[in-house]
Amino acid sequence: MNGFMEMANVALERIEFFLMDRGIYMLTFILFAVGIYGMVVCGNYMKKLMCMNVMQVSIIFFFLTFGQKEGGTLPVTIAQLFSAEDYINPLPHALMLTAIVVSLGITGVGLALLMKIKELYGTIEEENITGKGGGL
Amino acid sequence: MPVVLLEGLLLMAMIAIAVAIIFGRSLLACVIIYCGFSLIAMLLYTVVGAADVAFTEAIIGTVSTVYFVIAIKSIGDKKGGTRR
Amino acid sequence: MKYKKGRKRAAFGLMLTIVLTAMAGLKVGSFLPIVGDHNSPANSYVANYYIIHALEDTNSPNIVTAVLADYRGFDTLFETCVLFLAGLVVMTILPPQISPEQRKRLVKVDNHSFGGTVLDSSFRLVVPVIMIYGIYVLFHGEVSLGGGFQAGALLACAYLLDRIIPSFDNRLGVLWEEKAVVLAGIGTFFYAFTGMLPMFCGGKFLEFGKLPFGIFLREGTVQLHSAGILMVELGVTLCVMAIIISILEVVLERTDFEEWRKSE
Repeated sequence: MNGFMEMANVALERIEFFLMDRGIYMLTFILFAVGIYGMVVCGNYMKKLMCMNVMQVSIIFFFLTFGQKEGGTLPVTIAQLFSAEDYINPLPHALMLTAIVVSLGITGVGLALLMKIKELYGTIEEENITGKGGGL
Repeated sequence: MPVVLLEGLLLMAMIAIAVAIIFGRSLLACVIIYCGFSLIAMLLYTVVGAADVAFTEAIIGTVSTVYFVIAIKSIGDKKGGTRR
Repeated sequence: MKYKKGRKRAAFGLMLTIVLTAMAGLKVGSFLPIVGDHNSPANSYVANYYIIHALEDTNSPNIVTAVLADYRGFDTLFETCVLFLAGLVVMTILPPQISPEQRKRLVKVDNHSFGGTVLDSSFRLVVPVIMIYGIYVLFHGEVSLGGGFQAGALLACAYLLDRIIPSFDNRLGVLWEEKAVVLAGIGTFFYAFTGMLPMFCGGKFLEFGKLPFGIFLREGTVQLHSAGILMVELGVTLCVMAIIISILEVVLERTDFEEWRKSE
């Protein structure tokens, strides 16, 4: 039993190191690629819009990853902590905060265009509009 | 930094949800799944330590889900998404 | 049959994409800094200055708000402009097509049940709590978590609940999309005006240390920065709230709830 726990601990540490080294970046890239792939493949325009949002989340997370610090707390100043080592980097947070709100504006404009397409063509399926495609 | 294990798990869940959005048949179901996606994104931002960003994402995810649902009501799910 | 084949092909393509991206990510990830590294380039130069000096420079314990509204106020001004432009574009693509008389009738007709009496009432109870929370977030944005963007989105959320869930007489009133876009413009202008105020007293654009509030606060103190951040956040809140409401109204105007309910 003890040996098994030790082995599990070693395996967890290895996974942890792999994730810290490059695994997190790899997963973020995969999320980005899945979003792009959905935008290309989906036949429904609303689904394309949702896949674009997925892609945006991956980009935002990619930025936030750079701000992480081992042993840092939230970037709100506490009286006992003075050194810059103790706080997570606030700069990516400030940049991504605006990006999220702008992504809502993009979603709104996309939906408006979608409703215009529905008014003009009567459908939002790509294959009915262009006569081609229809993979998914 | 043991937090990365949690991050990895949440990221894998997000990838699974994104695949579910791509292959979903009903448009309304996709939107509800997208709501779950933004919930997990919020958890991920909290884990990373970006509490402000997580706060914003929680509200914005709700609002954009409402947008999508109302737009589906206006565009019509019957002819569009559930053909197959 | 054709769709089934298409789905199979799409699934294969997705697998291929994931594998290729994973390989590329493994290669590229080795060039990027280790997660949580204290000495990575992103954590080294200007970020440390922000962390150490934020409290004494701007009197704002929340460093994110300090960076957002004070150090990088110029960025945020144009982000607000982008949001305002998004609202304008939505209004341009889908102009309002219902006359005011029809709108009044529409509001009256909308008084149907949303999810039964209990659900309606409980949602209505939540609305004032959300509004109070939104205002709290606005005014405490520099002390704790929150700020202009979150407060605006929260207030819009309260409006959204009140708009979608029908009530009898006690609704907040409807903010139609033209008025909402005008309100967003006022918010954006208020931001820019706050930036221009120090220019009358010999300061630079958005230099909150030289705001002309000499009657209330001594010049050059950090309290002036607090006042400036609060004014900026007020503008951002107005803009975000109004844009979310205007997009909601534009989409809601084209939704025929009556027909939808009949088809159910």
